[in-house]
Formats: sequence, C-alpha cells, structure tokens
Amino acid sequence: MRKYKFIFTKFAEIFIIFFIIMTALFFLFRLSPGDPVSKLVDPMLTPEDTRHMIEQLGLDKPVYIQYLIYVKDFFTGNFGHSFHYGAPVSDIIFSRLPCTVLLFTSSTVLAAFAGIFLGKIAAWRKGSCLDNFLSISALACHTLFIPWFALLLLWGFAYKIGWFPLGGIISPELWIDNSSLMVKILDVIHHLLLPLATLFVIHLGSYLLLMRSSMLGVLREDYILTARAKGLSEKVIRNRHAARNAALPVITSVGLSLAFSINGGALTEQIFTWPGIGRELIFAVSNNDYPLAQACFLLIAAVVLVANLIVDLLYAYLDPRIRY
Amino acid sequence: MRFVKHPKLAACLCAAVLMCILSCQKAQKSLTVRIGLPQEPKSLNIWLASDANSRKILDLIYQPLYTRDPATLELIPWLASEQPVFSSDKLTCTIKLKKAKWSDGSGFTARDVVFTRKMFFDFKIPRYYSKWKVVKDLQAPDDHTLVFHLKHPSAIFLSRALTAPIVSEKEWKAVAQKALKTEKPLRFIQDYAVEKPLGTGPFSIFEYKRGSYIYMKKNPWFFASGETIAGHRLGPYLDNILFKFFGTSDVAILALKKGEIDFYWWEIQPGYIKDLKNQNNIKIFFNKKSALYYMGFNVRKPPFSDRTLRQAIAMLINKEFILTRILQNYGTPMHSIVPSGNSFWYNPDVEKYGYGKPYDLRIKEAYNRLRAAGYTWQIPPVDSDGNIVKAEGMKLPSGDPMGKIVILTPPADYDPKRAFAGTMIQEWLRNMGMPVFARPMSFNSLIDAVKGKHQFDAFILGYGRLNLDPDYLRAFFYSANDRPRGWNMSGYKNPYFDRIADEQRRLTDVYARRRLIMEMQKILMRDVPYIPLYNPKIIEAVCTDRFSGWVEQVNGIGNIWSLCMIRPE
Repeated sequence: MRKYKFIFTKFAEIFIIFFIIMTALFFLFRLSPGDPVSKLVDPMLTPEDTRHMIEQLGLDKPVYIQYLIYVKDFFTGNFGHSFHYGAPVSDIIFSRLPCTVLLFTSSTVLAAFAGIFLGKIAAWRKGSCLDNFLSISALACHTLFIPWFALLLLWGFAYKIGWFPLGGIISPELWIDNSSLMVKILDVIHHLLLPLATLFVIHLGSYLLLMRSSMLGVLREDYILTARAKGLSEKVIRNRHAARNAALPVITSVGLSLAFSINGGALTEQIFTWPGIGRELIFAVSNNDYPLAQACFLLIAAVVLVANLIVDLLYAYLDPRIRY
Repeated sequence: MRFVKHPKLAACLCAAVLMCILSCQKAQKSLTVRIGLPQEPKSLNIWLASDANSRKILDLIYQPLYTRDPATLELIPWLASEQPVFSSDKLTCTIKLKKAKWSDGSGFTARDVVFTRKMFFDFKIPRYYSKWKVVKDLQAPDDHTLVFHLKHPSAIFLSRALTAPIVSEKEWKAVAQKALKTEKPLRFIQDYAVEKPLGTGPFSIFEYKRGSYIYMKKNPWFFASGETIAGHRLGPYLDNILFKFFGTSDVAILALKKGEIDFYWWEIQPGYIKDLKNQNNIKIFFNKKSALYYMGFNVRKPPFSDRTLRQAIAMLINKEFILTRILQNYGTPMHSIVPSGNSFWYNPDVEKYGYGKPYDLRIKEAYNRLRAAGYTWQIPPVDSDGNIVKAEGMKLPSGDPMGKIVILTPPADYDPKRAFAGTMIQEWLRNMGMPVFARPMSFNSLIDAVKGKHQFDAFILGYGRLNLDPDYLRAFFYSANDRPRGWNMSGYKNPYFDRIADEQRRLTDVYARRRLIMEMQKILMRDVPYIPLYNPKIIEAVCTDRFSGWVEQVNGIGNIWSLCMIRPE
C-alpha cells in the first residue's frame, strides 16, 4: 500500500512541477521584448495589416484569456500551429526529433562506454604516464570550444581531405536518384560520423573524468582489499568488483544526459546543418514563435521529469536503504 | 589473413571504403544548378512566406503581371503582354495578358487574376491587401483582358499592385471557400500545407525534403521561354535547381570553394573576400543594394526636437570613415533617404552636411551653427585661437546642461557594422561635448523601444531591401504614421511634407511625381529626422566550374533573370 502511495505522490509531484513549468514558460515568453508579429511581417506592412495579423494569431486577447486557451489546448492535445512555419507544432517537433535522438543518443552512449573503459584504466594505473595522458586529454576534450572544434573537423576531414560531407544529414543527389535503401542508410551514417565524432570527443572527457574519480574512490573500499586477500586476479578485481560499482554514478549521469539530449546541441546542429530540434528551439525563441518554443521546452521538461521519476522509482526499488 | 583475425578492423575498413565509394558516386547532374541557402525556407505557402529564403523559392514559381528590367529597373510587362492602358481620367486601366500556362499545363487566364484579387480582399492578406485597396473593381471581359477600376488615380498602382504574384484559382478556390467558413480565415489559409505550389514561373517544386533540400524542375510551360525580354533571350537553359541548406556561412563558403554548390545565395561578409579571390574557380560579384542604414532621432522631445542640433550632428558624422573602416570600402555613403542606386528617384542635390570636408572644418561649422542657435559650453570645441579642442559641458539654449543621450544600436553579433557605427558616432559627438552613449541592445528590444513605445533618444537601424518605388518616404515620415507600431518612428511632423507625400501618390505622370519625390528628399535632408549613413554593397560569389551567365542587378545576382539565363560552361 505504501508503495502505491509513494508512486502516486511522485506522479502528483511531477504533474504539479510540470504545470508550474508550463505556466512559467507562457508568461516568460510574453514578458520577453519584441513581439512575433514584427518578425512575421515585412517592414512595409501597414498598421491595419499588422492589427489584422495580431487578431489572426490570437494575440489581441488579454493575456489571461490567452493563457486559459493555452492550458485548454494543451490538455486537449492541441499544441497549436507555429507562427513561423504555419504548420502544427507537433508535426515540426516529431519531424526533427529522430535526427536529434539519432545523433545525441548515439554520441552519448558511445562516449559513455569509452569514458567508462578509459576512466577505469586511468584509475587503475593512477600516476602512470597513461593516466596522466588520459586525464590531461580528458580535460582538454571537456573544455573544447564546440564551434571551433566542429569547424576544424569540417575543414580538415570534409574540405581538405574530403572523406566526409560538409554537413547535412543526407546527400540530395543520392536521394533524388532514388538510390537503394542500403545506399541511403550508408549515406546517413556517412553524414553522421563527423558530428558524432565532435560530440563523442566533447562528452568523452567528462565521462572519463567522472569514471576515474569514482573508480579511485571504490578502489579504497574494504571489499576491494578483501577481494585481493581472496587471491582474485587483478583483472577480475578491476572489472568485476571495482568498475561495476564505480560505473553507477556515470550511468546515472548518462541517463540524465540522454533525457536532456532531446534539446540537442544547437551549436553542433547549426554548424553541421543537422536538422534537429536544437536548431528549431533557438530559432523559435529568437523569432518569438511562442507555440513552437513552448512546445519544445515542454517536451524537454516532460522528458527530464519522467527520467527523474524513473530514477527515483528505480533507486527506491534497487537501493535497500531507501524505504517508502 | 590479419583481417580474418581482426573482424572488427575489417568491418571498419569496409565501411570506410564504402563511404569513399559513396562520396565518389554522388551524381553530378550537368544541368542541375546547386544553390546554397543560409536557412531553410519557412513555408511554401505564399500567404505565410515572408522570409527572404521562402521568397527566393516562391519568386521562381508565382509570377506578377509586371516586373523590373534588371538593367534599367523600369517596370516591364511580364505576365502582361503590353504596358497598361489608362483612361483619360486615370481611373480605368486595361491590361492584356500573355498566353501562359500553369505548371500543371492548365491555362492561365484573366479569371486567375480576378481570383487573386478576391483572395487579397476576402482575407485581407498582409502585404497585398493594402497595395490593392486602391482597386475598386476588377473585370475580366475575356480570358486575356483585365479592366481595373480604381478608387482614385494612383502612382503606386503599377509598381505595388501589379507587381504582386498571381495565384491559380484551381489551386486555391476550394481552400478559400473552406477557410471563409472558419473563425479565423486568414490563419486557416496561412496554415494550409502547400507541398507543390502551382505557378507560371520558370521552375516548379519536384521534391522537398524538410531539413535537407528542395529540388525544382524546369517548368515546360514557362511563358517567357525562348522570348527576348529586357534584352535577354530567356531559357531556362538548365533542367533543375537543387537548393541545399547550410547552418553557417563558413560551411557554405567551404562548399562553394569545393565546388559542391554553384552559388551561395546570401551576402558574403568582406572578411571572406581575400580568401575567395585566391580561388581560381570563384567569381565574386559586387552590386549596389536598395538599402538604407541610418541614424534616427526622437524629434518628439528635446534635445532632438531642435533641427539645428540634428543638422550639427549630421555635420559631425564622418561617413567616409564609416565607409573605409567599417565597410572596408564595400559600400557607398548615403546622403539621401533614397539610395543612389535607385537613380531615377535619387536626388543628388540634397544637403550633404560637410561631406568631403576635413574634420576640423566640420567641427567648426557644427560649432558655429550650434552657437548661433544658443548652445554654450564650459569648454567649447573651438578655442579663442581657432584650434580644435576636446569640448566639455555642452548646454542647451535654455541654459540647462545637456542630459545623457543614448544611441540604441543592434548588438555586434546581429550587425557589427551598425554597432561599430554607433560607437564611432558616440566618440565624435563626445568630442563636441555631448554626453552620448551608444547602447547595443537586442534587436527585439530595440524595435520595441523605438517603434512600439517611442522611448528613446536616437537609434541606428536599417532596411536591407527597400522597395524600388520611393513611396516609403511617405510611410516613414507621414504625420499620421506617428503612432505605436507606426512607421514614423522619429515622430516627424511637417504638414507641407504630408501634403506633397499625399499628392505624389495620386500623380500618374511619372516625371511630375519625380519632382515631388525630389522635393520630399530635400525637405527630409533639411529637417534631418534621419541621417542616412551608408549603403553596403551586396557581395555574392559563384563557382565558375559549371555555369556562367549570371545577371547582375541592384540587389545582386540572386534573381529570376540569372536562373533563366545561366548556361553550362
């Protein structure tokens, strides 16, 4: 019974937080300077035309009425139409979401695996040349300026050497030619590699450092000493006893990163012309496209809240110290 | 054998080889011109599309009755077959149409134009409704004749109304009927998804893959194909256009240098020129823009309600410096609100306020003007020996110290030229003893302060694409437009100016109208509610490997003429 009460309380918390975020978003956008009409119309539009546009966009109504319509629409599954594109917001988001998920999920997961593996080695050989090299490299990766690094990769590997395309997600020439499915898949992978490499390098540093520090903490634990006393091999101690426990905080961090990854990296997407949601979000905010920006932020909020809920529930289930 | 021992390595190598093959296999369509765009068009719905990138695509599809000759900028028949014939009272205008077809092969008739007008009126479509309000009635006595009945004689009827794009009744009739039954009809048609617009232009959409490309094919029914118009025998001489989108100019320039695109349809910043000039396969075009970058004053309140002060500031602004240091000589200084490239309407005889004079002389002249108007200084800018010194403590004619003056500018990341110009003007005016501060602020906030709330002293703004018809002079400075969101941002009021601004709109004699437009420019440069600063050149680049024959005009080579004229090398 207490278990169900705990779950119910968590759901209620999530709902209240979501509603607060939803309300805050609505008013924050209206408080920001400028108005969407000035971005939608050409400079020579007459005040009469402008007024007509405002009426059609529903921005002539008092803010509280707009808010009530917004809440009602949201709970009836209507996210509205983008002011800028004139298309349903849900269509825009769901057309961009797969690209972002593909790029950011793959880069986060790959970087996490590599980070855990290299962090483990660095911690195990603490003080060695390899540890110094990995730690310094990880710090360098972690502090890289993304636009500079991404442009450098593009310049070197796409422009100078010509191994990769200069951005985008597909080569139009191949798709227009009605190439086979396999060629199209390979084409997407071909376009994915360079942005993936950028994000991989950026994420790798933080995961490696986190894993190294976690592993160093675990190696000081008594059960590691016990394992050694039992005569277990170094490899078994490192991989089975130390690394598995040390990886827990990294995995938690990866889980939350995955949730945040749907907002993408606007800069990476912009430089690689990757048609993801991060670019749309920035574009919507800078153009006062209220419906699209609100929906993007709400989606991020929803995913992060759900991820937190799952983590809370899992912890409660897995960790015996947590009681309902 | 080593690969068998290392299957992962073998797989990686195979993938790399495949990718190399893929990149080599990319089809090189000899008659497909590949054009880079800085951003994806927002919509293919003509009623919604107002951004530059959508217009680039739609201008190749939807065509107007009249268009501009690229060399002379005169209006010439396009879908119309001849110049309009006006009745003696100038209230009726008859236009004959060419025999043209829509891109699906159906016939274009006068009924489509009547329908287009109905769309403008039924939905009060922004941009077009206000231009067509002068049309009282429009009749189509036969398939190729139009008779316009006007409410009053109008000078801008031809340049504004008849240059509007014409849509197909077949494409829009059902949508319009459905929309009119809704609560928000305009919103309905603007939100209507258009995948393949029906037009009479040289190209039509074949495929649009969101986020990646737009592929256009030659319209086999293009009415001007093979005709000689404005001295150009029009094609198109290519089969397809492939528009690719680029997130940043840096990447687009790399694609241009590499030959992955034939033209980057966007302005190139001067910083790229040196690099591009070193490329053998790149040609750079420099053309005049129909643009205006200016400093505006709030003339509703002191201190800028005083014309003498505004004139003195105009005298102190060194446009040559702005041109050489900020524009790196890729532009022209502006002396009138109408750009000099718009040669028919430009008045070269307006007051130029110290242009070409040395700095010392400018300061002395500004000082003399201000002193004569009652301004005083604790330390004047010209000492008793006639030497220029740094002035301090400027006082208004009332004897009060001049309060802090703020010049609002867009931030440097939005437009470095305007931001730097603001800083330079700040320094020049401080040398005169004025407590001036240039304050960059977000573009939205700037527009809100200047256009919405009128809470400002001075600002620096610009119009990147001014209409070639100078009726905007009326819009910018007409007394009735001094209201929140109105276009008279300075709050300029001059009954005489209003009168001739109204009069020029009614004149159908183009030379009589020109005289009034010249007079309006003179008045404005005497009263200086705006100080025109500069007009940057539009810099564009093409890859010369595959196509030649780009047509240059005011506003650059990115135009329908170029795409009807370029041919394979």
